[in-house]
Amino acid sequence: MTLPVLFAAQARFPAPEFESYTLPKMSLEELASDSVLWRVLLLAMFLAAGTWFFYKLRSRKALLAYSVAGLAVFGFLFASCPCPVGMFQNIAEGLANGSYIQPGVLILFALPLGVALFAGRVFCGGACPLGAIQELLHWKSVFIPRPLDRILRLIPVLLLLIFSVCAIYRIGFPLCYLEPYLPIFLLDFATPFAILSAVFLAAGLFISRPFCRYVCPYGVLLRFFSYFSLLKPQITSHECVNCRLCEQGCPNGAILPPEGTGSTSEHRSGFRRISMLTALIPFALFAGGLFGYFCAPVLSSFHRDVRLVRELDAGIKSEAVEAFESTTTTREELRARAIKLQNGVLLASTAAGVLFGAVVMAELIAEARRRKEEEVYTIDPSLCFCCGRCYAACPLERKEKHHEK
Amino acid sequence: MTRRDLLRLGFLAVITAPFAALFRKREETGTGYFWQIDPDKCVQCGKCETECILPQSAVKCVHQYASCGYCLFCSGYYQDKRIDFNTAGENMRCPTDAIIRTYVEDPYFEYKIDEERCIGCGKCVKGCLSFGNGSLFLQVRRDLCKNCNECRIAKACPADAFVRVPADHPYIYRKPPEVKS
Repeated sequence: MTLPVLFAAQARFPAPEFESYTLPKMSLEELASDSVLWRVLLLAMFLAAGTWFFYKLRSRKALLAYSVAGLAVFGFLFASCPCPVGMFQNIAEGLANGSYIQPGVLILFALPLGVALFAGRVFCGGACPLGAIQELLHWKSVFIPRPLDRILRLIPVLLLLIFSVCAIYRIGFPLCYLEPYLPIFLLDFATPFAILSAVFLAAGLFISRPFCRYVCPYGVLLRFFSYFSLLKPQITSHECVNCRLCEQGCPNGAILPPEGTGSTSEHRSGFRRISMLTALIPFALFAGGLFGYFCAPVLSSFHRDVRLVRELDAGIKSEAVEAFESTTTTREELRARAIKLQNGVLLASTAAGVLFGAVVMAELIAEARRRKEEEVYTIDPSLCFCCGRCYAACPLERKEKHHEK
Repeated sequence: MTRRDLLRLGFLAVITAPFAALFRKREETGTGYFWQIDPDKCVQCGKCETECILPQSAVKCVHQYASCGYCLFCSGYYQDKRIDFNTAGENMRCPTDAIIRTYVEDPYFEYKIDEERCIGCGKCVKGCLSFGNGSLFLQVRRDLCKNCNECRIAKACPADAFVRVPADHPYIYRKPPEVKS
């Protein structure tokens, strides 16, 4: 019984010495089970099942069941958080600051990427609870025009860079804070966050996977890795009759039309466009850097120390200021810390801006380039969310199914 | 770049990663995964009650019996502006009547937190700290907490009292306030 004695020496009211009363146990000692191992195991199983459904069974119904199971298990059972989508922030923070990264977190983050290298984005198809809820709550597809789609697709890249800077400088994990589907999984409908969920759900009824395509920063990594995928999805094993039904059936714009040889004048104009874009690269990098430079003060203003310094300077009597004044930290220390942070964010944000400029140019050049000659409709594995709609849309596949019966 | 090149690059990265980790600067603070409140930093602002994403906050008041004075007139139990020392609502500090008081020996009373009722508002903590030993404190209950990657209370906490602790140091207890002589 050393603990009470130790406290009694310091406390205002010394602990009484009881005759026949023993101190009750503190209520805190209830260990919550760490579900990360279960998550890893289940995720591996899900990804294996998804790959089988998509490449072997080729059944839309099986893939829908996969989405339902993913939503139930990873969405509601494990309360969605932390999910692989938000984990890039933990990884970025850990790598940059040298803080400890849990092995389970690392595996959860790397597993979908590793699978993407072999089987494309089966993770997005249903093992991701965010993807699953969007897959299931989709009613009628509104096709986004191709140029607009390409522009909007740059948003995730920008968010990936910005959120990484935020994570590295401990401004916070904005993706997890603003994640639109988390309130649904936790059944918490507090106003500012629930409005965001409602907006995304309503948009998802008409635009297929609005979060996956135009917000998800993890999707950028998955897109990159699945570009090199070993297994390439094939719409049909029969001779394609170029009926366009699969292209119309895909709400995600992942099906590429046949590419012809092209005329000489087309070749010449394409060559001119690419050389012009190449000449524009330095300007794009500079513009990106400038953009990052001007974004930095906005980013760092969300950091606690910077906000506190601003409130102290303005003489606002907020709770944070009162809490700060009760600590032993001096204002000068706080100010020095804030200035150091602001400088760091300025550098990182500028670098991120340059990188974003590079990505924009790379996308533009990739868009201007001619693809490999192809006579049939093909799936772009980096954009395919493995939903299986094209299998259901293809008349040849349907005929085959009918024949088997 | 082909698939093979990428795999080779990835393999190289995996091989070099442990060496890179050796030369990296180590940082000990903020390492871990479970959210806890540092009771010494906590200012009992009441945000724990309202900001948690769960309908019932995962933050509850915890009683550290070892540092409790078992006072007859507990300042965490009774309000400052009480009319009388009895259990009438206007005298009580706790808005949900979650503190159970039982007689132990003359003149000592045991105070127990009924966690079904506790909403984590921190009013009793503030009261206990103002006059008593500070044996009551707010803490994140690990059996309730969902361990959100970005804790909303941590984001709103004015005192920056939320920290992430590793699994082998799972709880932070309060140090009792020192006697002012």
